[in-house]
Amino acid sequence: MHELSVCQSLLKIVDAEMDKHPGTRLLRVFVDVGRGSTIEPILLKDAFEIITTDGRHDGAELVVREIPLVGRCRSCGRRFTYEEIALGCPDCGAVDIEIESGLELDIKEIEIDE
Amino acid sequence: MAKVDIGKKIQSENDRVAERNRRRFTEAGVLVLNLISSPGSGKTTLLEATIDRLSGKRTILVIEGDVSTERDIERVRARGAGGVQINTGGGCHLSAKMVAGVLGDLDLESADIVFIENVGNLICPATYDLGEDVRVGLLATTEGDDKPMKYPAIFHEAQLAIVNKIDLLPYLEYDVEKVTTEVGVLNPSCEILTLSALKGEGMKDWIAWIEDRLSRKKG
Repeated sequence: MHELSVCQSLLKIVDAEMDKHPGTRLLRVFVDVGRGSTIEPILLKDAFEIITTDGRHDGAELVVREIPLVGRCRSCGRRFTYEEIALGCPDCGAVDIEIESGLELDIKEIEIDE
Repeated sequence: MAKVDIGKKIQSENDRVAERNRRRFTEAGVLVLNLISSPGSGKTTLLEATIDRLSGKRTILVIEGDVSTERDIERVRARGAGGVQINTGGGCHLSAKMVAGVLGDLDLESADIVFIENVGNLICPATYDLGEDVRVGLLATTEGDDKPMKYPAIFHEAQLAIVNKIDLLPYLEYDVEKVTTEVGVLNPSCEILTLSALKGEGMKDWIAWIEDRLSRKKG
């Protein structure tokens, strides 16, 4: 997988933000990872630990919020998670489904120590 | 202790470079397709068969992505296409930055179509916009008909799904309609073609699809 390269991209964004707050240490990074994003949170945390071993990143924690893969039937409006989806809407059987969440890979906020 | 709001996609840097690639491709007037599939589904064979059918009519360039070897770029060059091989050295997908890095080696202005053959992988390439016009998810009948829902990210993002190796259907238990329905659930606007790159069945529709997209892009 490529959780390591995702972490590197993540840290670039964190660093750009921390450069606006010189002299601070990184405490926590909060990310949203969708179930359909192809990224595995456990591996992401492992990768994060590997690349945050020095300087202002040392000891920082990655906090992952997993976002479920949710579809909404465009015919009847029913919402459901992907465990239920089978071949269409569990209520009306229509196959026109909008994926509302579950593909996210976002950095939400960081906690820094001043 | 202070909380700092960021609210960005982690892939925002890749997306920025992808947009730059996209502008470069549009400036050069080329149609760009990103071919994504598992190893062995027939991406390179499809490219060979496509180049054969478009040779003399369209100038084709190929950006090949593989962990190692130049095997694939040699195959497409042998059919008359120009192009370049990117070796990721272990990376499981192409990124916008990798594609940006080779654009200077290509005569884009003289080309009509650029095919990007991604690293054989049905998972990781889904999260990397390369700047393409069309994302194509390729499946083969030999992979089993339960794949789209198992790999939702690719098919959710694709404009076209291709089922290859339909010449082998008589020897397999493969329900094409099931695959078509699943892709439709994941992405109602994703078009679907079934073909055999090796034997030729369905290739006419694929070529017509490309030509249609090309004329739409050229305006």
